[in-house]
Amino acid sequence: MAAINRHTDNTTPANAVVSPAKKSLPPAKTADSQSVLKRLQSELMALMMSGDSGISAFPEEDNIFCWKGTITGSKDTVFEGTEYRLSFSFPNDYPFKPPKVKFETGCFHPNVDIYGNICLDILQDKWSSAYDVRTILLSIQSLLGEPNISSPLNTQAAQLWSNQEEYRKMVEKLYKPPTAA
Amino acid sequence: MEESGSILCDLGALDSLSDDEIQEILNIYAQFCAATEALLNDTGNLSLRSEFVAHVQSLCKHGLESLVLNHFLRALEENFETNGAMEFWGHFDAYQNIALLNTCNQPHSDEEVREVLCKALEEVSLKKKCQEEFLSILVHVLQSYKYDVMEKGRQYDAETEVVRVFAKYQLLVSSVLMATLPRHFPDLLHWYFKGKLEELSVVMAGELNGDYESQCKDDMDLDGKGRISSKSGQRDFHESYQLEKFSNIHQLVKNIGKVVLDLRSLGFTSMAEDAYASAIFSLLKAKVDYLAGDDYRSSVLEPIKEWIRAVPLHFLHSLLAYLGNSADNSSPLLSLKSSLAPHASSFNSGVDTPEGLIRWQSRLEYFAYETLQDLRIAKLFEIIVDYPDSSPAIEDLKQCLEYTGQHSKLVESFISALRYRLLTAGASTNDILHQYVSTIKALRTIDSAGVFLEAVGEPIREYLRGRKDTIKCIVTMLTDGTGGNSNVSGNTGASLLEELNRDEDGQENVGLDDDFHTDDKQAWMNASRWEPDPVEADPLKGGRTRRKVDILGMLVSIIGSKDQLVNEYRVMLAEKLLNKSDYDIDSEIRTLELLKIHFGESSMQKCEIMLNDLIDSKRTNSNIKATIKVPSQTVDLKESTISMNDFDATILSSNFWPPIQDENLNLPASVDHLLTDYAQRFHEIKTPRKLQWKRNLGTVKLELQFEDREVQFTVAPVHAVIIMQFQHQKSWSAKSLAAAIGLPVDVLSRRINFWVNKGILTESRAADSTDHVYVLIENMIDTSKNVSNNGNNEDLMVGEDEGEGSVASVEDQIRKEMTIYEKFILGMLTNFGSMALDRIHNTLKMFCVADPSYDKSIQQLQSFLSGLVSEEKLELRDGMYLLKK
Repeated sequence: MAAINRHTDNTTPANAVVSPAKKSLPPAKTADSQSVLKRLQSELMALMMSGDSGISAFPEEDNIFCWKGTITGSKDTVFEGTEYRLSFSFPNDYPFKPPKVKFETGCFHPNVDIYGNICLDILQDKWSSAYDVRTILLSIQSLLGEPNISSPLNTQAAQLWSNQEEYRKMVEKLYKPPTAA
Repeated sequence: MEESGSILCDLGALDSLSDDEIQEILNIYAQFCAATEALLNDTGNLSLRSEFVAHVQSLCKHGLESLVLNHFLRALEENFETNGAMEFWGHFDAYQNIALLNTCNQPHSDEEVREVLCKALEEVSLKKKCQEEFLSILVHVLQSYKYDVMEKGRQYDAETEVVRVFAKYQLLVSSVLMATLPRHFPDLLHWYFKGKLEELSVVMAGELNGDYESQCKDDMDLDGKGRISSKSGQRDFHESYQLEKFSNIHQLVKNIGKVVLDLRSLGFTSMAEDAYASAIFSLLKAKVDYLAGDDYRSSVLEPIKEWIRAVPLHFLHSLLAYLGNSADNSSPLLSLKSSLAPHASSFNSGVDTPEGLIRWQSRLEYFAYETLQDLRIAKLFEIIVDYPDSSPAIEDLKQCLEYTGQHSKLVESFISALRYRLLTAGASTNDILHQYVSTIKALRTIDSAGVFLEAVGEPIREYLRGRKDTIKCIVTMLTDGTGGNSNVSGNTGASLLEELNRDEDGQENVGLDDDFHTDDKQAWMNASRWEPDPVEADPLKGGRTRRKVDILGMLVSIIGSKDQLVNEYRVMLAEKLLNKSDYDIDSEIRTLELLKIHFGESSMQKCEIMLNDLIDSKRTNSNIKATIKVPSQTVDLKESTISMNDFDATILSSNFWPPIQDENLNLPASVDHLLTDYAQRFHEIKTPRKLQWKRNLGTVKLELQFEDREVQFTVAPVHAVIIMQFQHQKSWSAKSLAAAIGLPVDVLSRRINFWVNKGILTESRAADSTDHVYVLIENMIDTSKNVSNNGNNEDLMVGEDEGEGSVASVEDQIRKEMTIYEKFILGMLTNFGSMALDRIHNTLKMFCVADPSYDKSIQQLQSFLSGLVSEEKLELRDGMYLLKK
């Protein structure tokens, strides 16, 4: 966990909902889809082999550029016992640009808006091609337990965060388990 | 009233007639009618004839000849119908039932029927002849009258008139008989001819044998020179005997010919022909059945052809000759063709009609081919079961099929036989493979292009793919005929090895061809050898070059990829090499070389390294022993009875060997010391390499010395370690023994059963109920008692023990691969909730592409998934798999 927390600790508040990081890292080479494909396949293999509990992702049936992910709330956090479905959409010049990641399941969280958009620096200007699906998933998982209150997308959640008991109740009230895709 | 017809024709003449004249004509006509009646009913009286002639003449004077003719013919018809036909058919009424029931086996009635038939035919022919005579009288009178009246120049016309009248009569007779034909008459005829032909064939067969015998006797007699006189006497006897036989046959044919002739004259030409044709065919069929039978070890086609030439053709030849002769001899009127069967008679009537005979021959031969083919196809399964012995039958079938071209019949019937008899749960995989190989070989003879083989082989391949042990069996068959499963007949294995050799030869030949080929010549040869594919060929299956019939290729195609086969072979080879106590791998090298030719160097590389390991081991082993000889001998002999000389190591490059089961063992100190010493020396020689012992692998030769006997064993190290513990301590509890050896208790208790079953140890329950005590048995007497106690579960134990190999089996490897897929499956189900089988299959195919890529069939996946379901990792609900929560 320690290694993962680093990402969120260093999170700088992001104001925009989703600001596509166009300036960051101009594509070093025209990414031909073959190499993207290879990269995604090897990421999938690594993810499957890693055996991290509580995170998972898999490409949709016919398109390796669209993945579905699943995160379960970490133990000893208010999100314990909940499960969230995410969607990944990889750009053609991945990994030079970050994938678009959204919550598919409603998540009552200071850095997630009602549309499921996530405010996470590594998905925007702090993206590096060294990150991969697994690190994104782990980052989001740890984000659940340690939100960035200073720049909330969901102010209600941000205000409530200090009262963990109430927050837990709110999470339970709003939680709807993801249905089968 | 009857006049009206003719009067209408000649109205002018009627006008000129006076009443007296009319009266006179009427009188004469009445007399003529009466005379006709009398003539037909009473044959003998000559005066009636002259009277009749007179009446006819006077009527002719009045120009009423056509009336006379018509009336006479009608009278003949009526007379024939009432007398001839009724009587004729009356003869056969009694046999109606017999003929219908086809009870040909009653010789008594058989004979009777023949006689009756002959008699009836004779009678009716006589009747007909008689009537013909009257007709000829009438015609003659009419003729002479006409001759008087007409000019000489018109006479020629009269000649055809006669022919026309007789044809009319012939037609009349036939139609009367046909109209009254009883239904059983054709059967009767068929029966008659059959009986006659059988008789004939018996006589002819006797003649053939007689010939043979007499020849034999002649040969024998030639040896004994002193018996010339007796020889000539015998020959005379033979000749006379032969003559008698010949005349018998001649007589028989003549009888038959007469019947045919009679029948023909009655207008039954085609019916008679049908009858004797069908009789010949049924006789031929019986002959083929008899000759072909259930014996596939000899070719029957030639004997059948010979028989066709000897019996039916001979008969037909004589018959046709007889018919032709008699037709020539008798009056030209008789040879008149019946209008009812113009074709049949046209090719039968000539004397020397080689064309007719040839046509008969090809008809008969085709029939024989077809019958034999049907017979063989129906029994093809059995034929292929004892294939190498039954190749004559296959050869026959091939010729038959070339003639008839009914390959599809073969394919259909054989596939259904296979489905019914071979591809069932009860058949062992070895048997199926054996049959498959035989099928390939057999059908390769029949059809070299392999088109039908493809169709036939598909169901077998499909079925074999569903069997788990297919690959193992194939590999076993490939590498050694007898080893592995004892069910494998040595034959198959040997033949498969042989097959490997054969293909090698073939490829060498190809290589040779390439060396000296001149392009044009080669191209021309290829072109001239080209044959079109049979029509049944599936154009989707590619050209004939790709369908080269190659048994190994076909076996590989069952498995799907050669990699699996190679892998299985590797596992088997590893097992074999590990159990070798000497370094003799000549046969393995040979097999490997053959396989290399087939599967390519690269795919067999690992196996080659394994064999090289063995060769290296031999060298290293002797090197190490050379270094050790002088110093160690004395030391070792003192400490223990084991020296380095008793001991050979196999050094593996484990990267290239299949995964090896690791089981840790505490070896006895003396052995362990020896091993470390050996490893030390290895390191000295082969720095920087170090030996890592696989203590559980290999074999140990033991000699156990008891109070009353010595027993030798060759066992696995585990067993040796166990028994060595009993060397100093006669009784061990399971727990302490397990601790001493370093095995888990459950593994130990499984392994120790080996010795319990051999009667060396005995097992009993310890005071502590969870433990067992093993005691060494020193005396045979105790042993026998204990063996009988344990006898019940012995088989079970042994079977269990044998099942454990030292090398991870291919199934284990597959299971290992599957665990990778398990992660993928769990991953996708986590994210997609529930998925159907085929979606999981497709998703795996799509995304699981890195090493090892997903190459399993949907069935394999399904069984794997159901394994996961039973492990309660997954849940199957309405055909959808989902994670068990």
